[in-house]
Amino acid sequence: MHMKTLATAELRSLLTAVSDHGQRHLCEVAVDLQQINGLQNDAVENLGLNFMAVHKLVCDQQNFIERLMTAHQFDSEDAEQLEALKQRIGDEMCAVVTGLQFQDLTSQLLAKTINHVNGLKDLLKELGNQSDEINPEHEHEMIVKFLEGMNHSLDAGSSALSGGLKHSVGQQDMASGDIDLF
Amino acid sequence: MAKTILAVDDSGSLRQMVAFSLKAAGYDVIQAVDGQDGLTKATEKTVDLVLTDQNMPIMDGLTLIKHLRGLSSYQKVPILMLTTESSDEMKAKGKAAGANGWLVKPFDPKRLIEVVQKVIGS
Repeated sequence: MHMKTLATAELRSLLTAVSDHGQRHLCEVAVDLQQINGLQNDAVENLGLNFMAVHKLVCDQQNFIERLMTAHQFDSEDAEQLEALKQRIGDEMCAVVTGLQFQDLTSQLLAKTINHVNGLKDLLKELGNQSDEINPEHEHEMIVKFLEGMNHSLDAGSSALSGGLKHSVGQQDMASGDIDLF
Repeated sequence: MAKTILAVDDSGSLRQMVAFSLKAAGYDVIQAVDGQDGLTKATEKTVDLVLTDQNMPIMDGLTLIKHLRGLSSYQKVPILMLTTESSDEMKAKGKAAGANGWLVKPFDPKRLIEVVQKVIGS
């Protein structure tokens, strides 16, 4: 009579495959996210410097025009127009300064995502750790024990991961934030 | 003589934006990359205002405030938090640590200057 046996080897093989493939893909995700973060930081710092340089040049240009206007006695309407332009440039610069802060917010979110990915990688590594030899005579009990242990490890690891990842960025848009003076 | 503000943030671009805005309003700005660096720079020169982020490596903003408030030279210096954190719980912690105000990022340069002027004058 043919005895039914548990597919222990296949189960172990499946767990190892899920663990290995999952870890490999998550590794790539973490590397890509780090690269995105680096590129974004570099781009925004350069953009910030460029905007500031443009602002300085525009200010110099305005001062130059003002000196010319004084020397050549332009009428007050022209002076008012120049002042209005100066005001608008100032407002646009303020909008740029507020807008470029997106990098600080997204960088924190990316760091949190990278930590999450690394935590998931550790959980998958746990899934691949199956060192206990299975005794064929107690195969069923040992498999149940093994799966219970695995479940417990994953639960504990998942809770630790969630608890360790603080949500510090709640902003959904780039509107300037609240101010409270104590 | 221009008043000096210590801007503490681990984000280079954010420090850049804060320094640009404050310098345009006539303030001198010292920059620090985290709480520990902020504490070192604050002890090297007593500044007129500290503007600090909360979440930073090595030392966070609340810990920096507690250290600064322990120094006799910083007991009356205004300290403002500038952070992405916006929960009432965090604001209460900031107030308890000795912060004088809480600004949620992103900041509007005009509003930042208004607050700074209100706290330490032009």
